[in-house]
Amino acid sequence: MAASHHAHDDEHPKFLAHHFDTPEQQFDTAKFGMWVFIVTEILMFGGLFVAYGIYKSEDPHLFHRAHLELNRIMGAVNTVVLLFSSLTAALAVRSSQLGKKDQTTMWLVITILCACVFLVVKYFEYTAKLEHGFLPGRCFGHPWFGDHCTDRTAATAHPIPVHHLPSRANVFFALYFMMTGLHGVHVLVGMGILIWVTRRNLRGDFSKEYFTPVEIGALYWHLVDLVWIYLFPLLYLVG
Amino acid sequence: MSDTTHDNHDGKVHAHISSWRFLVAIFFTLIFLTFVTVQVSYYDFGSFNTVVALVVATIKASLVSLFFMHLRYDKWFNGFIFVMAFVFLGIFLLLTSDDIFTRGQIDYVNGRTRLERSGAIAPGALEPDPETPHEQAGHGASSAGTHSQTSEHH
Repeated sequence: MAASHHAHDDEHPKFLAHHFDTPEQQFDTAKFGMWVFIVTEILMFGGLFVAYGIYKSEDPHLFHRAHLELNRIMGAVNTVVLLFSSLTAALAVRSSQLGKKDQTTMWLVITILCACVFLVVKYFEYTAKLEHGFLPGRCFGHPWFGDHCTDRTAATAHPIPVHHLPSRANVFFALYFMMTGLHGVHVLVGMGILIWVTRRNLRGDFSKEYFTPVEIGALYWHLVDLVWIYLFPLLYLVG
Repeated sequence: MSDTTHDNHDGKVHAHISSWRFLVAIFFTLIFLTFVTVQVSYYDFGSFNTVVALVVATIKASLVSLFFMHLRYDKWFNGFIFVMAFVFLGIFLLLTSDDIFTRGQIDYVNGRTRLERSGAIAPGALEPDPETPHEQAGHGASSAGTHSQTSEHH
């Protein structure tokens, strides 16, 4: 990096780790590492997307019937919430780059609140799915809550299924719960990261010269948004 | 291409700062595309449904990565490794599909060398053994399998 030759050795800011020559080198290294991490995340979700593609093409009609049971209004609301939170995350980075600490805090808090809204909507979706007997496994076809399924004898406790999807539709809902569940875990982790970034921002760690954690945290949050951008149409819209 | 590195030799971070108007414009474009993809899903294009949904999703993902994630202003190499993730995902999908959807077309263990539907010799299959006359065009691959198995046990 050419910059190192021009660095002022006497100026060694507090935020600059000793193994980096310049703030620029530190910033670029952090971003590069984050992008590599994003690649591993994409490939982790990729396994599920490939499974989805294979099973869908083996029985498209079944997937179509099963996906009609998902609430696409709730899915669309959550899409808008996540897109908005991505905007606020980008605005938080911008405020941080401009050294506006209070604005950064505001945008970060709004982003975290959006994450909460997303999880609340997801909670209602999951509850409805469990009540309507879509939890894959032995209880498939039978409501999960109540006096049944606790002893794993759903069929005897509730002989009449609450929906008429064939048991093969298990596959769709297994993928639905795995994909949205793994994504939900990422939302939780993202919230944790954003809370940590907010705390550091309140502590006054960041400035025009050093905003790397805000940038990296936002990158993680955008990744959560990216995954959902594909999950929403594939699960809720086209099945 | 890269605002971060060009002509800055002072070692400080020179990241691109987007205007808030621009970021809000990107957001509304994303909302518009979401609206489009939901509306489109009420029409049936047959097998193109998934293609349409994926194309719209990819446009949205590109907007998020280019502008919200600053790839547009970033070092080219970061964008390169990001794209490579999708290249390798494509290889993953391609080879997995190739395996799963061609199983049973060629299966020497069960004596299958012909395509299940047309009865033609499967691509890459060895020439059918002339001493197993049962395996002919028109025969189902499964019946061909049982026949050649019995002939093996003569």
